[in-house]
Amino acid sequence: MGLGFFENLNHSNWQEGPLSGGGSGPSVQFGGIRRNRKHEWCLVSVAIRAEREADHARLVPTGPFDLAHAMEAAREVESSEAHLSECTSVDVDLAQLDRIDGAGAVLLARLLDRLDVDGRQARIIEGSNHEAAQLIARYRERREDLPASPSRVLNPLTRIGALAAELPSKANEALDFTGRCAVAFLKAPASPNSVDWRSLPRLIQEIGADGLLVTSAANLLIGAIIGFLGVSQLEAFGTVALVPKMVVVAHFRDLGPLVTGMIMAGRSGAGIASEIATMKVSEEVDALQSMGFDPVRWLVVPRCLALALTAPLLTWLGDVLALLGGLGATTIVSQMTAHAYVEVTLNAITANNFVAGLIKSPFLGLSIGLIACGQGLLTSGGAAAVGTRTTTAVVLALFSVIVISAIFTFFYTLIGI
Amino acid sequence: MSLPRPHISVRDLRIGWGTRVLMECITFHVDRGTIFAILGGSGSGKSTLLRYLIGLERPQAGRIDIDGVGEPHRYEGVPRFGVLFQSSALFSSMTLAENLALPLTTWTPIRGATARELVQAKLDLVGLGPFAEHLPGEISGGMKKRAGIARALMLEPNLLFFDEPSAGLDPISAIELDQLILLLSHDLGITIVIVTHELPSIFLVADNCIVLDKAAKGIVAEGDPRKLRDESKIPFVHNFFTRSAPGMTARQGG
Repeated sequence: MGLGFFENLNHSNWQEGPLSGGGSGPSVQFGGIRRNRKHEWCLVSVAIRAEREADHARLVPTGPFDLAHAMEAAREVESSEAHLSECTSVDVDLAQLDRIDGAGAVLLARLLDRLDVDGRQARIIEGSNHEAAQLIARYRERREDLPASPSRVLNPLTRIGALAAELPSKANEALDFTGRCAVAFLKAPASPNSVDWRSLPRLIQEIGADGLLVTSAANLLIGAIIGFLGVSQLEAFGTVALVPKMVVVAHFRDLGPLVTGMIMAGRSGAGIASEIATMKVSEEVDALQSMGFDPVRWLVVPRCLALALTAPLLTWLGDVLALLGGLGATTIVSQMTAHAYVEVTLNAITANNFVAGLIKSPFLGLSIGLIACGQGLLTSGGAAAVGTRTTTAVVLALFSVIVISAIFTFFYTLIGI
Repeated sequence: MSLPRPHISVRDLRIGWGTRVLMECITFHVDRGTIFAILGGSGSGKSTLLRYLIGLERPQAGRIDIDGVGEPHRYEGVPRFGVLFQSSALFSSMTLAENLALPLTTWTPIRGATARELVQAKLDLVGLGPFAEHLPGEISGGMKKRAGIARALMLEPNLLFFDEPSAGLDPISAIELDQLILLLSHDLGITIVIVTHELPSIFLVADNCIVLDKAAKGIVAEGDPRKLRDESKIPFVHNFFTRSAPGMTARQGG
């Protein structure tokens, strides 16, 4: 087949246009799209002439039927159809087409399709424009009349329903994963080779050492805040001497593990979830599985272990810094001396207060690890899914830190520690 | 309005980073409406050359003219050619229809029903009509390639670049893809540049080719691949086309 026509059709539209106003080099014309000096789209006239003879009609498209004029062409096609009422046969004459490309051909092909469906006789008169007729035919024959796939746009009620319907399977997923983790933890000591122990030092470094600065700073400030609050509130009763005890009790028992846990959930939770999610998306997890590794044992056990080990350490260090913060705040805004503060503090640090907080933190770490790894392993799809799963992991981890802290405190109150 | 006869002309191109030269004295022309293959073993720099042709990298020296337009003006404004990347590079968070509609809504005033019609027609053209609302993660590798081609066709380009179109496809999908490439070339008159090392595909579709060699730091042969296979005296070229002897690396990515 000769390509001469297509050179007119596709290639001749390429030219260096007039220099554009901005001086950003020659503006280019692509398939007939042209930008003028104001960078607006210029359109050249496209029309479909309709000629009626009793119940026979002739449609003559004129002008450039190409991508640049697709909107105009579509309007012309639509309005020309209005002239066709009560026609039984329609001819489409291509002789006066300036040029046509895929976009124009699609519009004419769909027009012919609709005429066919209506049971009218539609014919193409190609004239000298054989290639245009072929192009239109190409877009007609490839048309497959298959049921449209269901739309992804849901109305709000349907979405709520869909979310509710997902809940049981989500809960099932979570329980299933927890069960697999429990088994993995029990089996890990039996077959130590199935766990990636070599990553443990790196993980502890990333989760613990690298997070030290931010958890310490946060704990220091929380200690100072309790100090300031205590002084301002207790001064009225003349009981500023109780501030050090308040710092110890509030921070050691509750705020310390909570603040540290929340920071770890944000930092390490996001890190772990996105790492595993990316591994899942790039089929690394599948590769592990195919090599006979249990991904839960290989990936989840070291991460949970690293979190459970480092959480009490970070909490303990945070406790120390909170005491310093409280000391600073109290001595600055009240008459209390540093010596007196330290003395009261030392009396307030009982085994109960100290252990009550530290017992919590491994559980907080563990829950962060389980949630982050679980969300990571549940990822499927592409880059967007990694982001969604990471977000979900952080939200759930933060929430679980708060809930677990509350449960422990409630339990301590019940048994009177 | 007459345009220069060669669609792409590359003259004395030098490719490299800093003082390291990967290829030099690259000169070739691609004729309008033909299918042109860039061949070579792994590491010969054929994918790198493609990155220069589509303007992702700036050459150290030499000129690449497409339609007689050279750097840097070629890459401003409406893209004048379509590219199919090796991994298809579909946006994974968008449905196929949204992937295809993106160039339309970015570069043309086409919206609404007309845009949907054009998108659907391109999907039908590559045989993916029923999959408009699928996400890229939900379709096979061969279908992703075809969706990538459909997206590359959205702006009705007259030039397409394919980076290893049949890599990772089964023979039947690969042949279907070759047939689609022939259809694009013959029926739509599009000039096509393919980077590949799949010999059956080369002999089936390519009108012309260049062969790159790492050792020679450039082009070692140029012409009709079938003629090169039968007549070339250069050992590397002969080995490449007949899949024989040492130095043959045609089965790996490059």
